[in-house]
Amino acid sequence: MTSNSSALSFFHRNEFLIRRLHSLSGLVPVGAYMCVHLITNASLLAGASVFQNNVFTIHSIPFLPLVEWAFIFGPILFHAAVGVWIAQTGKSNVQQYRYTHNRRYSWQRMTGYIAIIFIFTHVFHLHGWFHMDWWLKSVAEPLGMAQFRPYNAASSLADAMNDFGGIVWPIFYLVGVLACTFHLANGIWTAGITWGLWLTPKSQNRASVFCAIFGVFIGAAGIASLVAVKTTDSKAAKVIEDEMYKVRVEGHMVKPDDHKRTDGHQHKEERKPEPVAAP
Amino acid sequence: MIAPGSEAPKRKPSKINVRVLRQDGPGLPQYWERHQVDYEPDMNVISVLQKIAAQAKTSDGKKVSPVAWDCGCLEEVCGSCTMVINGRVRQSCSALVDRLVEDNPEEIELQPMTKFPVLRDLMIDRSRLFHNLKRVKAWVPVDGSYDMGAGPRISRADQEQNYPLSQCMSCGCCLEACPQFTKIELQRQPGETDESYDLRKKEAYDQGFIGAHAISQAMLFNAHPVGKNIADERMEALTGTGGIAACGNAQNCVAVCPKEIPLTTSIARAGRAATVYSFRKFFDR
Repeated sequence: MTSNSSALSFFHRNEFLIRRLHSLSGLVPVGAYMCVHLITNASLLAGASVFQNNVFTIHSIPFLPLVEWAFIFGPILFHAAVGVWIAQTGKSNVQQYRYTHNRRYSWQRMTGYIAIIFIFTHVFHLHGWFHMDWWLKSVAEPLGMAQFRPYNAASSLADAMNDFGGIVWPIFYLVGVLACTFHLANGIWTAGITWGLWLTPKSQNRASVFCAIFGVFIGAAGIASLVAVKTTDSKAAKVIEDEMYKVRVEGHMVKPDDHKRTDGHQHKEERKPEPVAAP
Repeated sequence: MIAPGSEAPKRKPSKINVRVLRQDGPGLPQYWERHQVDYEPDMNVISVLQKIAAQAKTSDGKKVSPVAWDCGCLEEVCGSCTMVINGRVRQSCSALVDRLVEDNPEEIELQPMTKFPVLRDLMIDRSRLFHNLKRVKAWVPVDGSYDMGAGPRISRADQEQNYPLSQCMSCGCCLEACPQFTKIELQRQPGETDESYDLRKKEAYDQGFIGAHAISQAMLFNAHPVGKNIADERMEALTGTGGIAACGNAQNCVAVCPKEIPLTTSIARAGRAATVYSFRKFFDR
């Protein structure tokens, strides 16, 4: 028996633990983070200054890159890798058995794949994944990636989303956010069964309704963010952000950090020199 | 003008076309074959198969070996005649031809179950299903050399919860419809003994998903006052490889179960029990 057990792959031997950690990581921290993220984004609807203020708060977290990797990127990578493995263990038969729950099973896997492509591209597009100079200078920025400037939050975001005629990225984000929203809302429902929260078909139906309402709210926050980005006047926003930055620096609320700003960001300036007004 | 005959009783076909997915033996390729039988009122798929076997002739008139199938009770309690009829898994004894031709008057399509190794034509090897019941020790352990006396009384509420689970006939519909339960079929190696082939099969089955039927039976026997003596052993199997965690919540099992067993409730119950058991195991040691 022992020789058989040791012959089993690591995944098979720890299947229960890995799958439960996968379920947990989808809720906390990944799912919880996604809610905070989308609600923060939706605050742009209240104006560039409100959004900028929220971003300042987030960027006051000490050791932010470490926190990002430990509580966001790491768990997302784990959830994605195990998710792909889990999806490979099943074989969808929705063509044959056209039940609602079976469709949800297929959609959970399809939206998972979409979410992986979306999140990896999205983080690269705005965050850049890594902030080493060589990476930004020779890989991310030449590809038009790593475009978000935390201290010019709304303006850099609006500029980034308006590349390629201002329609490609918003559609990409809309599809991605809606896929993530379904994946989270349906994932909460399946997690409730996995952990034994809702038992009977009746209670599972009630949970479905709850999860659907939750999904509508989170999806609405995502759509609101996109509307807000598309209606943001980048130039006007930048003026406000630079004023807010100045005040924060003068008030010792943030340390000056040009890497997080559009103006101080040398690589960007090298690429796109400001047009000099004719004398 | 009202079309004539629109209110007349539905015309019954004089012939029934049947398409059968055949296979001459384990591991051999499958092929479709058309058969035609005379219609009779109140036929079921078993009586159609009896006619097909008796004529042993395709609809083109070609002589073929009789189609093989399995059946037992003919009243939907043994599960042995389970097959995929018009794309849906069910018992062929309770699949009535009059209902089937209402849905598709052209043809009845018969396939063996796709999640189990085919022995011949519509007969399949369901041994993995029974092996998985052994994995969760789906029985009440009363073997011993001394008199254990009368069993404890079971409350009315427990009886009502357990009785539906006890109706499982091990037909395998839940497994056939489950996207997480995938086929495991081994080929016998040349010169391999029965024992080593069986051992190899068991080892392969032990890694596969245990299935809704076994999860539900584990919950049934864990709720039994004597059966729960080995509840931890069942939980060990359910929290092991291919256990409860491999469920993907597609919930097809409960939708296709001919006995309407609340399988998804059992699965959620097993999930809750697995949560408690794994926490207890981790923090009590």
